Amino acid sequence: MSEANTDTDPILPLATDLPAEALALLPPEETIRLSITTDIKLDGLYGPAWLLATDQRLLAFSPDGGGPPDIVNLALAEIESLEIQDLYGSGALKARTQTTGQTIALFSKTLNAKFAPLPEALEKLIRQAQPIDDDKKILRGRLDRAYLKRRCEHCGQVIPRRMGVCPSCLESSKLLNRFLAYSLPYWPLAVTSLAILLIGTFIGLTPPLLLRTLIDNVLSPAATGASNAISLPLLGPTSASGALAYLVLGLLLINVSRNILGAVRSYLLARLGEQITFDMRRQVYRHLHRLSLNFYNDRDTGRIMASVTHDVGRLQDFLSDGLQETIRNILTILIICSLLFYLNAGLAVYVLLPTPLIVLVTIHFGKRLHRIYTPLWRRWAGISALLADVIPGVRVVKAFAQEHREVEKFESRSEDLLQGELRAARTRSLFSPLMSFLTSLGTLIIWWVGGNKVLGQSMSLGEFVAFTGYMWQFYGPVESLCRLNHRFQRAATSAERVFEVLDSQPDVDDAPDAKQLPSINGRVEFRNVSFAYEPGTPVIENLSFTVEPGEMIGLAGHSGAGKSTLINLICRFYEIDEGSILVDGHDIREVQLRSLRDQVGVVLQEPFLFNGSVADNIAYGKPEATLNEIIAAAMAANAHDFICGLPDGYDSIVGERAVRLSGGERQRLSIARAILRDPRVLILDEATASMDTETEAQIQEALARLVKGRTTFAIAHRLSTLRNADRLFIIEKGRLEEMGTHNELVALDGIYARLVHMQTEMSRIRAL
Amino acid sequence: MENSYKLTDELNLLDPTTARLYHDEFDDLVLEIAGRDPERGILVVRCFPISAGDRFIALCTRKEKELGIVEDLAALDPDSRNALADALARAYFRPQITAVYAITEEHHIPRWQVDTDRGPRTFEIRSSRRDIRVLSQGRVLIRDADGNQYEIPNYRRLDVDSRALVEDQV
Ligand SMILES: Nc1ncnc2c1ncn2[C@@H]1O[C@H](COP(=O)(O)OP(=O)(O)O)[C@@H](O)[C@H]1O
Ligand SMILES: [Mg+2]
Repeated sequence: MSEANTDTDPILPLATDLPAEALALLPPEETIRLSITTDIKLDGLYGPAWLLATDQRLLAFSPDGGGPPDIVNLALAEIESLEIQDLYGSGALKARTQTTGQTIALFSKTLNAKFAPLPEALEKLIRQAQPIDDDKKILRGRLDRAYLKRRCEHCGQVIPRRMGVCPSCLESSKLLNRFLAYSLPYWPLAVTSLAILLIGTFIGLTPPLLLRTLIDNVLSPAATGASNAISLPLLGPTSASGALAYLVLGLLLINVSRNILGAVRSYLLARLGEQITFDMRRQVYRHLHRLSLNFYNDRDTGRIMASVTHDVGRLQDFLSDGLQETIRNILTILIICSLLFYLNAGLAVYVLLPTPLIVLVTIHFGKRLHRIYTPLWRRWAGISALLADVIPGVRVVKAFAQEHREVEKFESRSEDLLQGELRAARTRSLFSPLMSFLTSLGTLIIWWVGGNKVLGQSMSLGEFVAFTGYMWQFYGPVESLCRLNHRFQRAATSAERVFEVLDSQPDVDDAPDAKQLPSINGRVEFRNVSFAYEPGTPVIENLSFTVEPGEMIGLAGHSGAGKSTLINLICRFYEIDEGSILVDGHDIREVQLRSLRDQVGVVLQEPFLFNGSVADNIAYGKPEATLNEIIAAAMAANAHDFICGLPDGYDSIVGERAVRLSGGERQRLSIARAILRDPRVLILDEATASMDTETEAQIQEALARLVKGRTTFAIAHRLSTLRNADRLFIIEKGRLEEMGTHNELVALDGIYARLVHMQTEMSRIRAL
Repeated sequence: MENSYKLTDELNLLDPTTARLYHDEFDDLVLEIAGRDPERGILVVRCFPISAGDRFIALCTRKEKELGIVEDLAALDPDSRNALADALARAYFRPQITAVYAITEEHHIPRWQVDTDRGPRTFEIRSSRRDIRVLSQGRVLIRDADGNQYEIPNYRRLDVDSRALVEDQV
């Protein structure tokens, strides 16, 4: 009957693991159009189960431990509706016919992404299989899409909470290379400090050799009365006291030059590190300001701040400290090894015997400490979080007289921390003695083997002493290298986070050929604009309107309707998905962002004041403003009077922990800030929502003056606020539902009329 | 004068003796209160999904309008109780972990291999600090990277190996 329906290709990628028993249930002439493997069976246990669809039927096949499998076999022609249910801990798909309803698939949230397109695919098949008119809704329900962002789009790896990029797509080795690339501009500095590092390390290792010469060439001959045999390498025979003087002088020179080189080296390296981190910090901060609001919406403020301060700082520490120490340690180990073999190869082999043991023990303890410290850090973080929570809320604690409970809570956390710290201390205190015992093994071996060699005349006393000296310098670097991994990891994590910021691209950016937006009149036009923050959940749908220059538009509608989103789009904080927005006929995507935002003034519901004087805050958008202009703007915003009442007038410091301004006062400052730039388009987003009637009246009065000659968009819940508007737009679920003057809309008797009615009622209740 | 306002009057509790719950032929939950039309397609919402899962269960219509609260599952008649318990079990899928075989970490993402009352499972956690919640008496709630939930009724009662693995994480 469906000869037109020739396409028999699968709609979605087919499951590859379909069991033969399930396939046996299908008549041979039917081809599978759709199949999916789920991870929860219909009996609620984990395990694979399958859902198949052909052009005729829907088949759910779910094995059941002991008994026969659960099977649902529905003819597509009978299906009335499909419902996808987003449950608390899983998802479910339910199908209904005229007479029955059945769950056809259960799946964990891990499969949300896989199941999301399924209902639509099934709907297509159902509509093919039976005559249904297009208006009838078959699908119901929707899956929460927020979780989809938690896995990498490329490899499916989980993205850690503190990061926004997939760690396995950012390889650590590449990270380090990128990071070292920052030192390229400073290569002369880097090479010099490396050279000094090399020389310094060499010189630092000479004193035991000097000691050997002192003993073998000077002291032993002198002690055994063979003073005439005294001769120094390079200098030849000398007197005993002369030789001694030379050696002392040598040691002095070595010590002086070693310390001078050390000082120079540490300054140069610190300078290198500081320069590189300066560059990096600057680059990160600049980049942060290029990024769009979307970047900030997805992340904690604290996390972003940490990438500029903490992470960059940690990288610097690694550069100026970790890296040089590593190089020095490797060098020291190599030099000492060769010296030991040069001095006495037979003994050197014995002396190095405990080294593998030390390496193993250090690594083992390192891991153990890490395992102890990780929960400990977590507990520390818990305590900080508790403090951060309670201290700002101290008024509530006092008001409800709960001090003792807070104290107890803190003490119990503190106690946990104490236990953890003690555990760590036990491990640590075990570690040091064990290590020093292991290191002393080397000395024991030297004493025994070396002592025997000295007794057997196959080794000189000086060599013996030099050996012991090198021993002590050898194990330190070995231990430190063993712990390198941890240090390296931490630096890599920090590098990851810094590069995460640097690698993020702004969603909204100037087009390469963006023009300057000329001075505008203020005509704003939306043409079939659609926008979604999250794909699949449109917030603005197919919106079209034109606002003439100088018009005042009141935007009203339920909260969550999309009013703020609409004005965000005018400022181009986000990129629209479809349609276009034109300002004076220019598509806002084709002009420079700066030139657009320069001509748009925004006043938000929660005014944000920066730390600084009142004047600074008013002039934020126009730092070159004259004092005249600042005062004029404050007057226009009805803010002048209260500013003059502040102790330092326009010079009073506001912002965090300064003069406390009330909500209405802050609001008026932010209006003054917007107005100082004399914008052609003024946007007021619930600018008066949380204000008392008198303050609102003052602001209203200010606004009434300001909106003259500007295109204004005002959002307000209190409709009385919008009484000056030329036209009102009623937004409902991202659509423009009603548009017109107050009288027109009341006459229309729609949403607006209902809102007006309710608010009149409400004010009557309040008036009582 | 005695205070005539009682805070508990605000509660919209269902009378367990007159409310009846069952699944209809569409496998939808139906609420019948004597003398009223039955409500079909009831959604169940636990008010305290963690601390008191069987008490204070809100029954809502599909449009999320609350019809009333069942104060205690146990007070219902046996059939209704079973029907409601069934609906809850379906809506609140949260397997109980019975053993932990291994917890490996890659790129700071712990991957747990466990056995649950619903069968074996492997899952990943984004942040141990935020997604693992330790409650009183060793009860642990876990939310994995995809939003699935798991519960350990008391981690101190797990076998020695599992316990050691869990203790490292909490
Ligand atoms: N940054 C965002 N990310 C995702 N969704 C958002 C964001 N901002 C707002 N939304 C959603 O968009 C819808 C419209 O919000 P908004 O425009 O702020 O409404 P209102 O009309 O109250 O100003 C709401 O459902 C809200 O949850
Ligand atoms: Mg808003």
